Amino acid sequence: MKDVLTKPIDRAVKFGAEYAEAREETLFKTMLTMKEGRVEAAKQGVEKGVALRVLVNGAWGFASVGSVDGEILTTAVLDACKMAKAASLRLKNPIKLAKTPIVEDQVKIKPKKNPAEINMEDKIKTSSAINKSTLSFDKRVKSCTIDYLDLTGSSAFMNSEGTHIEQDKLYVWARITASATQKGIFAFSREEIGSTAGYELFDREPPEELGKKLAERATGQLEAKTPKGGSFPVVLGPNVVGVFVHEAFGHLAEADLALSGGVLANNLNKKIASDLVTFYDDGTIDGAFGSFQYDDEGVRTKKTALIKDGVVVGLMHNLETAQKFNAEPSGNARAEDFRVEPIIRMRNTYMAPRDQSLEELIEGIQFGYFFKSFRGGQANVDGTFQVGIQEGNEIVKGEIGEPVRNASISGSTLETLFKVDAVGKDFELGAGRCGKGQTAFVCDGGPHIRVKEVMVGGSA
Amino acid sequence: MVALSKEEMLNLAQNATTTAKRNGATEAETYVYEGESTSIGLERGQITKSSKTIDRGLGIRVIVDKSIGFAYTNILDKQTVVEDTIIKAIHAARASKPDPDWHELPTNKTYASVGKTYDEKIANLCPEDLVNLTSTMLNAAIQTDKRILAIEGGSGAGYLSTAINNSNGISAFDRGTMIECSIATVAKEGNKVTPVCFEFNAERNYNVNPEWVGKEAARLALSALKTKRVETKTTKLILTQFALQELLYYTLINAVKAENVQRNQSPFKNKIGKRVASENVTIHDNGSLPGGLRTSMFDGEGSPKQKTLVVEKGVLRNFLYDNYTAKKEGVESTGNASRAGYLSTPNTEATNFHITPGSKTKEQLMAEVNDGLIAYYLQGAHSSNPVSGEFSVVATPAWKIKKGEIAHCSRGIMLAGNIFEVLKNVTMIANNERQIGQLVSPWILVENVRVIGN
Repeated sequence: MKDVLTKPIDRAVKFGAEYAEAREETLFKTMLTMKEGRVEAAKQGVEKGVALRVLVNGAWGFASVGSVDGEILTTAVLDACKMAKAASLRLKNPIKLAKTPIVEDQVKIKPKKNPAEINMEDKIKTSSAINKSTLSFDKRVKSCTIDYLDLTGSSAFMNSEGTHIEQDKLYVWARITASATQKGIFAFSREEIGSTAGYELFDREPPEELGKKLAERATGQLEAKTPKGGSFPVVLGPNVVGVFVHEAFGHLAEADLALSGGVLANNLNKKIASDLVTFYDDGTIDGAFGSFQYDDEGVRTKKTALIKDGVVVGLMHNLETAQKFNAEPSGNARAEDFRVEPIIRMRNTYMAPRDQSLEELIEGIQFGYFFKSFRGGQANVDGTFQVGIQEGNEIVKGEIGEPVRNASISGSTLETLFKVDAVGKDFELGAGRCGKGQTAFVCDGGPHIRVKEVMVGGSA
Repeated sequence: MVALSKEEMLNLAQNATTTAKRNGATEAETYVYEGESTSIGLERGQITKSSKTIDRGLGIRVIVDKSIGFAYTNILDKQTVVEDTIIKAIHAARASKPDPDWHELPTNKTYASVGKTYDEKIANLCPEDLVNLTSTMLNAAIQTDKRILAIEGGSGAGYLSTAINNSNGISAFDRGTMIECSIATVAKEGNKVTPVCFEFNAERNYNVNPEWVGKEAARLALSALKTKRVETKTTKLILTQFALQELLYYTLINAVKAENVQRNQSPFKNKIGKRVASENVTIHDNGSLPGGLRTSMFDGEGSPKQKTLVVEKGVLRNFLYDNYTAKKEGVESTGNASRAGYLSTPNTEATNFHITPGSKTKEQLMAEVNDGLIAYYLQGAHSSNPVSGEFSVVATPAWKIKKGEIAHCSRGIMLAGNIFEVLKNVTMIANNERQIGQLVSPWILVENVRVIGN
């Protein structure tokens, strides 16, 4: 692949590009959608293409083609150069890039169970087992949808600085949703699992237990009441802490968003959270869904501290923002595939545990809520967040009380971080997919935590 | 890479279908897709990037004794890869389980021509045109006021073509164009930053208005600077198209998909002919709407797109079907099979979900509100309960209306309720129709919405 990619890079440099990179990917995917045990379609795909990116006069040009043909790549890279030149005409602040070490490396993945070597029949069997345990748990469970994906393949990256990296890719992912109904009440539950280790994911997450968890989560809501709206103390489970870390804080710590009027740009090295709060974005956790060796700008991944004991200590960078902040590139530049350019994305983002038990977190609360798992979350660059809850309970006089459904929490991220007044000693990481125009595979998580007060929105 | 011609696309599709049949498929369907897009991006007040993407490939769905398999590839220049892909689809079907509800692929139909979906001017656009367009929009935004920051945005032009062929005699080709521009702004005063205020314009023909987009985004951001708290109460609410699209996408649009009805995931099961919304509400799903963003001759399975009456004066009339869900009930597909290019099998999706406009202007709609709110952007609508319609979202931001006029902005307000109750409380619909994603709608006024203040 080295020869194929060298030519367009040389051509761009000859055109006058300050920087050029080429990324070839060959991807094999298997996908399944199962609805109530019916295989909607068993799917397989192969795709191949090259992403070319150039910096000309301080502006970016990008081109993507589904081909490795030399002539097509040359035309594409020249298109990218000309477009970049056109885009640069009104540029006041030309883009510059941080320097990174030149790398020559090959990354091979050796999974225990390679999904590419497991036949379709066995993958269907795994989904069938999840489906069966979900639907057979309780007759009020009416539907079960399973989406399964595995992706294997490789990428080759080269740039005009001399870096050349070839990496294997491997992802296994499943999302299961279930619905339950009773007397006109509809409840809905979801769960996602994912790994970069291999198909052994299903040994760690046995299908029978997954199905049971989904069914319990859906039927539990049928008996639940809607919460009161207003400000209350809450205890958040690792799953909700994870989505809070990711959505409410993580996106603000992406340096591109921080630069775009986000609230963190002016808060570097300042205290923005209680002493108990420490957050990391870590691409080095073995087998975790957000882990990889090198990002799509050829920078080695690392464990990046974002908040330490309440103080903002770092942001997530690509080459461009690292130069602007005079920081080290953190290895956060990721592209979904060869069709798109790399942008700053999270990896495995989590809150570090401290020393308290769940009982200790709950015991002091007269009235509040315990939110175990989320349905979705979203944040705005002004620092407001919203997290929808699928599974929760009241806390009454220091004890877990009746279940509640369709709750959500919201508020200002920074205010809420100061209100974290107890952090548990447990820890869980969950897999998910993050959308920022492109999809990225990530993990998020943390321990159980207590927040002194947060706005709880109930249903009317 | 030069775009494939109609004949090349149709031949690719036909050859793949024939090869699949020859290799043992009971039925076969090939979908060939080509998309070319050029875009110019702005970040932090200046144009910084450009991109050109060419993506083409084919997806083949085969049925072997009622078992369904699918495979795709973007490597079309190697006959062996295409043949391997067809064999993979057949393997996938053989590994799968038969579906007793499978009937057959769609059969040959005639298509009506659709209007205003292709513009030669967009297909022939050069990057410099998009640089100028983006620049016009950017200048319109930042020249409105010194406090305006343009965070991101840009413009893009796209050409896409599809060909479909199946073993029941369907063979069709369609192409279309799209141009869009968008900008996200905030207003900054001292340490105060407003939430992101966003505007965009997308058209099938070359008639976008970048100046309006820039000015409108800036106007919204500026009006979000002055904030006051609002109290918790039940109130009147005007939903603009952005907010309505967010709320309906995850709730009502799912509820009218036949698949969800058949799978007991819709509250509208057994509700055809029943009242589900206020009598002010009439909705069509119109896949042949002239110039509609989701308009084309045929859907992802080659069924003709059409205009389907979904809600008539508040009464539920029809569900949205693809071929599979329609044949399961012995009815005709409504042309709602959607595909994500060549990479996916068809899914049921609304096309242009069109709420019939009323006769009042938006100013007259505002005048109806003595004390209430207007919401543009919502946060968290995707966490709505998709089955029950219950939602609990944050308006980022919303504006307080007093005596028919915008009084001030308010942040962090939560709106909670059930979308199906909201639809019953629609008291007036304006005439300022526009399209956002699937939704084509004017502003609507609803009563009795629970607002949790700050």
